[in-house]
Amino acid sequence: MKKKVISSVLILATMIMSLTGCGSSGNGGSADTNGGADTVGEDGVTTEDITLTYWHYEDETTINLLAEKFMEKYPNITVETKLISDMSTDLSAAAAAGTFPDVFSGTDSDTALANMYWRDITEYVENDPETANLMATIEEYGIGKFDTDVRYAMPTWYQPSAVFIDRNVIEKLNLEMPRTDWTWEEMIQLIKDATVDDRTGMKYFGLGYYNRLDSLYGIAACSPEERAIKGEFGFNGEDFDLSYWAIGEQQFADLKLGGYVAPQQNTQEMEDWSGDWSTWFGASGHVAVFSEGFWSYQNLWGVDGYQETYGLDIVPYVTPNVVDEKEHNIIANMYMGGVSTSCQHPYEAYLLLKFMGWGVDGWKARLEIYNDESITNASGVALKHSNMPVPITLDEEVWEGYKALFPQDEDHKAYWDDYFDSITRPVPYGWYSIAGYWNFCDQYFNNLAIHDKVDQGVAKAADYTEEATEQANYYHAEAMISYFGPGGYNVLSDDDLAKYQAVVDSFAQ
Amino acid sequence: MSKEKKQKKPKIKLGRLEKREARVGYLFVAPWIIGVLLFLLIPLGQSFYYMWFNIRITPLGTNFNYVGTQNFTQIWLENPEFPQQLVTYIWQTVVEVPIITVFALIIAMMLNSKIKAKGFFRLIFFLPVIIVSGPVMNMLVSQGASSIPALNTQSVIAALDTFLPYSVAESIGELFSNMIMILWYSGVQILIFLSALQKVDPALYEAAKIDGGSGWECFWKITLPTIKPMILLNAVYTVIFLSSNEQNELINMIVSAMFSGTKEKGYGYASAMAWMYSVVITLIVLLFFLLLGSKKDVYDRMVKKRIREQKKEARLVKRIERRGRRNVKKIERARKKRNYRTYDGSGDD
Repeated sequence: MKKKVISSVLILATMIMSLTGCGSSGNGGSADTNGGADTVGEDGVTTEDITLTYWHYEDETTINLLAEKFMEKYPNITVETKLISDMSTDLSAAAAAGTFPDVFSGTDSDTALANMYWRDITEYVENDPETANLMATIEEYGIGKFDTDVRYAMPTWYQPSAVFIDRNVIEKLNLEMPRTDWTWEEMIQLIKDATVDDRTGMKYFGLGYYNRLDSLYGIAACSPEERAIKGEFGFNGEDFDLSYWAIGEQQFADLKLGGYVAPQQNTQEMEDWSGDWSTWFGASGHVAVFSEGFWSYQNLWGVDGYQETYGLDIVPYVTPNVVDEKEHNIIANMYMGGVSTSCQHPYEAYLLLKFMGWGVDGWKARLEIYNDESITNASGVALKHSNMPVPITLDEEVWEGYKALFPQDEDHKAYWDDYFDSITRPVPYGWYSIAGYWNFCDQYFNNLAIHDKVDQGVAKAADYTEEATEQANYYHAEAMISYFGPGGYNVLSDDDLAKYQAVVDSFAQ
Repeated sequence: MSKEKKQKKPKIKLGRLEKREARVGYLFVAPWIIGVLLFLLIPLGQSFYYMWFNIRITPLGTNFNYVGTQNFTQIWLENPEFPQQLVTYIWQTVVEVPIITVFALIIAMMLNSKIKAKGFFRLIFFLPVIIVSGPVMNMLVSQGASSIPALNTQSVIAALDTFLPYSVAESIGELFSNMIMILWYSGVQILIFLSALQKVDPALYEAAKIDGGSGWECFWKITLPTIKPMILLNAVYTVIFLSSNEQNELINMIVSAMFSGTKEKGYGYASAMAWMYSVVITLIVLLFFLLLGSKKDVYDRMVKKRIREQKKEARLVKRIERRGRRNVKKIERARKKRNYRTYDGSGDD
């Protein structure tokens, strides 16, 4: 009996201890807070010992190495990093538990704005000479300002959209390689020409896609004279015009229905075509043009021996423009990073954000890390093959080092140089830069399954243009009021508030 | 008697041994009490409070904005997925619970019979409960391991469609495509049935066999009535399991709404969803309770009737006794007044 009692007490004690462990929470934000009584050095950085937390979506090994480099530069600052698995879940749980990070870089700006995660960093950015040497669209389109006068975030991780061409397929089909500053129509024509089914073997498809062409077209259709598009769905900073999207959507659906587009992985169509359910079209050697993520090259095609194994010869092309302009906007993935409202050391946090994102010092540290292929991540992959971003800074030294990470042989170097020269005007996807974008997609666009209907030919994209434009304007206006109006950051002028309210009211009627 | 009723039971002071036993008892139930308080009652109360608010959790604190019933109207009017999933859930649960319960009963009876390697088979059927949970289950389902490849679901649906409405036929067809998963869910129920089957008195079967009862008759007349309470228990367990496992779309919807960063959603919206969902679950449990709840059997009714009769007889006896006592007093009074007369009028004297 005595033994039973002792064991019960032990079990109970263990349980209580573990429960107490569950309930404990950190102090949120900086681990060492000193109530703002910092001793500040000449460079404006505190000389006190502080800890900053950095949450991110990048390769963990890369970020940890970068954090070490940052700590070498600022020995009194300790950086703790964490990989975000799901932005809204992780951050809302952290906010509830009082363990919110000082700096984070995320993919969903609506979540950050709706919950006022980001603080105003306008002053830091505007007084930082390095920000003058960034890609032009960041300042020109106010990327990170969300159509206000306040900067809440900066792009920290950038990968442009890309079109890749398999030169081997072009050669096999006896076609001409297009010029590197090609136009949209030239790309569509190539896709059609490269679709060949001679019924003697596997059919050749003109296009294999990860990114839908309508996503690319919305930005590619930008012509400053016609409409300055600075976001998806024809967004010009004030309102939407989905007629641009509709053209691209219909064109893409017509290509799919016309049999010009290769099947997706893990589908019956793929098994019928290649004989293997799990084939990726990018490794089939029977697709000419790829609308792929930039990472597909780094993570797969760029890995030693991959192209040789599958008989490929992949080169990059810039996403073409509808009008024939050398320097044009391209759609891009741009994680937005900011300093949190709970951060106790905002300036130091801003420096960390810059180092991890667009800062020249940070990029030089990155290049060192990427050049050393002996450093691998937990999966055993060299870090340059693990979702390496593209520099946002225009610093020549950084770019020289960055270009050297890509093929340097005569056959390929020119393609890569041309490509990198053409990606200096990125425009982020809507979820990074437009307030209310997620709500519009979630509650209207995806709900109606517009892509599926148009792709299957049961509806025309143009049928949705008018209604979708109204809906997009409504969701944007509603989000602007909610995020930046009196219930949120409260930075909108009365005129702006009235303007957005009028859109909401007119929609309600 | 009434005085006896009013009398309080004398307090028996517990001895040291009893006290110690009581303490140990409380100690044993303490984890449960703590668990219920921390993980059930407090969150329950919190979620009830939250559902009337729009809640924004910012790094600087939590903002509660009272919205009344707006969360509910938003769920029903602006989130078409929730009502749709709710209907699917109700239909699937009502169909799957009997299938799982019956399957578990059949397997339990087979495992209870005299077969070789009984322990091994029991382990095999219980193994999915341990292994196939959470991420493992999600991975298996995504790779199509939950369906039987040789089973052409579309043909089943087409066949059913000839005499059933398409929506019903499709739902039943879906069952076939998830057949393996449904069977995986039966591990705990098999164990419960097995323990119930092992407690059935073998003498009952022996007596039935002597009277010429077949196995079929034994099942319906002995096994099933004896384990009937366990059928209800298993049905309720299955409802709760199906309603809260990782494959349940509604649970996923509630979780994603809870952590959603969008301004309409969040803890308040998710709480409203969760409360509506729990009401539906309660109704389903109630339905199974009404269907399977044990109705009193003939023997039970007879026993109750006899008890009632005994009580009635006791009351009658008491009444007669009271009347007797009254009559005795009446006679004594008459005697004192000397006017007591017997029936023949002669009196006592």
